[in-house]
Amino acid sequence: MRKNVIYLLARQLWKDAFRSKVMSIALGLMVFLLLFSTYSGWENYHDQNYTRHLVQDEVQESWENNPDKHPHRMAHYGSFALRIKHVLSIFDLGLENFVGNAVFLEAHKQNTVNFSEASMSTGLLRFGEVSLAMLLKVIIPLLIFYLGFATVARERENGTLKLLIGQGITRKEIVFGKWLGLYSLSLIFLSAIFLILLCFVLIESHDDMYSGSLLRYVLLLVSYLLFFAILSTITILVSAFSKTAKGALVKLLGIWLLFVIILPKSLQAIGYYLYPTPSKIEIETAVEHDLIQQGDSHNPDDPHFKALKDSVLLANNVAKVEDLPFNYGGFVMSQGEAMSTKVYLEHQDRLYQVYRKQNNLERLSAFVNPYTAIKNWSMAFSGTDFQSFLHFKAQAEAYRFNLAQEMNQLQMDFIPNKGKAGPNTISNKYWKEFPPFEYHFLNVSKVLSNEVTSIMALLLWSVLSVFGLLRISTNLKAI
Amino acid sequence: MYHLLFKSFFRTKIFLVSLVLLVSVGVISILIGKQYLVKQENTIVAAQEFQEESIKRNLEYHSDDLGLLLYYLRFTLIKKPTNISAISIGQSDVNPLLQAVTIRGLEGQKYDTDFENPSLLMSGNLDLGFVIIYLFPLVLIAMTFNLYSEEKELGTWRILAAQTAGKARFLLKKLLIRILFVFAILIFLMFLACGILQIPMNQAFWAIFIQSILYVSFWSALCLWIVSMLKDSSFNALILISIWVLLNILLPAMVNNYVLNRYQVPEALNAMVEQRDGYHEKWDLEKDATMTSFYEAYPQYKNYPVPDDQFSWIWYYGMQHMGDLEAKETSTEMMEKIMMRNTVSEKVALFVPTMHTQLSFNNLASTDMISHLDFLKALTEFHENLRLSFYTKIFENNPANVIDWENHEAKFYSPKRDFSWMHLMLPTLLITLTIAVFGLFNLRKL
Repeated sequence: MRKNVIYLLARQLWKDAFRSKVMSIALGLMVFLLLFSTYSGWENYHDQNYTRHLVQDEVQESWENNPDKHPHRMAHYGSFALRIKHVLSIFDLGLENFVGNAVFLEAHKQNTVNFSEASMSTGLLRFGEVSLAMLLKVIIPLLIFYLGFATVARERENGTLKLLIGQGITRKEIVFGKWLGLYSLSLIFLSAIFLILLCFVLIESHDDMYSGSLLRYVLLLVSYLLFFAILSTITILVSAFSKTAKGALVKLLGIWLLFVIILPKSLQAIGYYLYPTPSKIEIETAVEHDLIQQGDSHNPDDPHFKALKDSVLLANNVAKVEDLPFNYGGFVMSQGEAMSTKVYLEHQDRLYQVYRKQNNLERLSAFVNPYTAIKNWSMAFSGTDFQSFLHFKAQAEAYRFNLAQEMNQLQMDFIPNKGKAGPNTISNKYWKEFPPFEYHFLNVSKVLSNEVTSIMALLLWSVLSVFGLLRISTNLKAI
Repeated sequence: MYHLLFKSFFRTKIFLVSLVLLVSVGVISILIGKQYLVKQENTIVAAQEFQEESIKRNLEYHSDDLGLLLYYLRFTLIKKPTNISAISIGQSDVNPLLQAVTIRGLEGQKYDTDFENPSLLMSGNLDLGFVIIYLFPLVLIAMTFNLYSEEKELGTWRILAAQTAGKARFLLKKLLIRILFVFAILIFLMFLACGILQIPMNQAFWAIFIQSILYVSFWSALCLWIVSMLKDSSFNALILISIWVLLNILLPAMVNNYVLNRYQVPEALNAMVEQRDGYHEKWDLEKDATMTSFYEAYPQYKNYPVPDDQFSWIWYYGMQHMGDLEAKETSTEMMEKIMMRNTVSEKVALFVPTMHTQLSFNNLASTDMISHLDFLKALTEFHENLRLSFYTKIFENNPANVIDWENHEAKFYSPKRDFSWMHLMLPTLLITLTIAVFGLFNLRKL
């Protein structure tokens, strides 16, 4: 292969592209979409995070300003956890607007994460959202197909392919020249978007909460570079295998529809169909059932709680609850909290297993659909995938549990048992000492291990692409 | 003539592919709708059982303290699911169809969500509405984009032109056959859905039916217009798909982004915090701080004593209600913002048939945002009625058996909405007619 011939062919493709009207309309549209999604992504990220930080601070302030009181009162006063957006959510919205944003944390009860944007939106949400990643995943692939469908097919239709070969240019040079031209063309858009994104990452990454965002950025960039290379290859291959340019275009449009709309959506639907999800009320009933099985705290004669009492009395060598060296009510509540939390989490895990099964069908289709691979990878590294949400939920739940148990401990330590003299309240310095909720994003290595499937699929597609290009380089039909 | 045209159409590959694609995806979408209805039914049964059992169980332990008993009991209000919602699931997968509430503060319970797989929410339901809005236009495009250009490119157009008197009429006939075919599948799927999902043939059903017909007509007119420009096949395919992407993906998504950003709802978070503080801080204040405002809201309870030195239920439920009162203003602002989002979307949608069709489907199936807001309003009323019916009995320290618990099964709420045919049909009809006229005008030059 001669480098200069390949460059020449690539440059020719550029010239043709910029001469066509489609390109100028597409360029204009792209610039507009780019500005729109940058602005709306930034505004959304900035305003939402601003509000959430503000509310989180208010929550902490009101917590600390509580006067002296009984610690169990504080356990019920509770706190809130607000989900913070990762800076890369500007790039890929992912599940961002479909998962809740705020959860009330209180003793004895796991609340749902409420106020997702979707729950406050109109039916237009089902059409999707515009983000920088959406342009890269949905619109630009279509553009690549537009720009590339004719590359080989039309040369052949016009008979110029035969001429080129006749002039001593090898088939390999033609294929790789065309491929390089198309790929480099697609990189114009890619680099524009990633340059904008770099600015955002650099602005926000001085905060140590976002450390690792540069690494995430690089990983995103690499994956999109691969994705576009794969798409360019598919275009060239389809064009080379089609008799007419029109045939190539229709095939490519079909592939786009299949990859972007039909396959992901129907696989998701089939997954949902195969593994039905229980409703919240069913899970709540099951949790309650399990808890009553273990011991009913409302029943004064419950064997579980009676046994607990007897063993505590025995261990402390006293005859009555009142004589225990700690507050018995606090002790029972801390036992109950640990028990109910364990049962609840078990049921929740089972639910998430169902979700995972539902999603796996689409996730594994990455091996036949490169779009799925990039979609999951992109969401994961933008901190907007399901795992990131679960990570938030787990942190919020851990904080809740901690808060309830800390209050129970304070009750055990400082509140006297019934019938004994002593204070019924404790100093508010204990509230001030309790640390606020702070969210930390998943670290990059964890995200990587979550997305092994996606990267495997992308790599496999890359290998297949190289193989495909080499193959067509040897048996490209001239007529 | 028609006979021959039908025959040649039935022989094309695209005919078979479209038939298989539309019918199979259509049937799948109806089954998905069915599954959605079944899930709703199961949920309702579970909720009814849950309520009955929990009343029974709690009665066992707290029957001497009504105040405490009602601290635990939850009462369910169910939005009666309409079968037609299976055609257009809309927002009803995000917003729960039932809420179980205690008579404590409502604000903290009102927005509790059901558990849903967020990945599924993101990809959206594959309901019949989706098939009509997304896939039908694609099939129409695939069947018509080369209606004229193919003959031209194959060189058969000249022969045809020589043989037929009305060239335009010939093209129109060809187009008509394809459109009729698509309509036939649409009507078939509609009635199939009607049968499988047991949708009553009421106004709402016929409105959705006619709206779908209009929507498919819009795309037919659009195809006619593009074909009438007599450009080559590649150009037609390209331009039609671009329009499809613009109308089905870009425009609605952009309007959605705009509306979400323009009308942000920080009030949701604020109301949540206000309610908590509004209730909890009352524990540390003089009882008068609670009782004065409570009596202002409910003067009928003025005569119940509130002992200064001990706990009383009237004070406790008074404090609970304070939480709601203090969040009320912010909560109302939040509802207004959400309404604004809806209003703006609907206005823009008047000019974009895809959006208008989607929103009116949701509206007719009672799966839109407004329908959910109405449900929340009904829930507020339900909660108020519950409280008022229990308050006197609690404040008089009655035992639990003064209440007829048989009457407290889960309750149903039926959404009531009316719609204007004009508002529903006119936008799409006008746009369709305008485009069709352009197309026909172009064909005259043939």
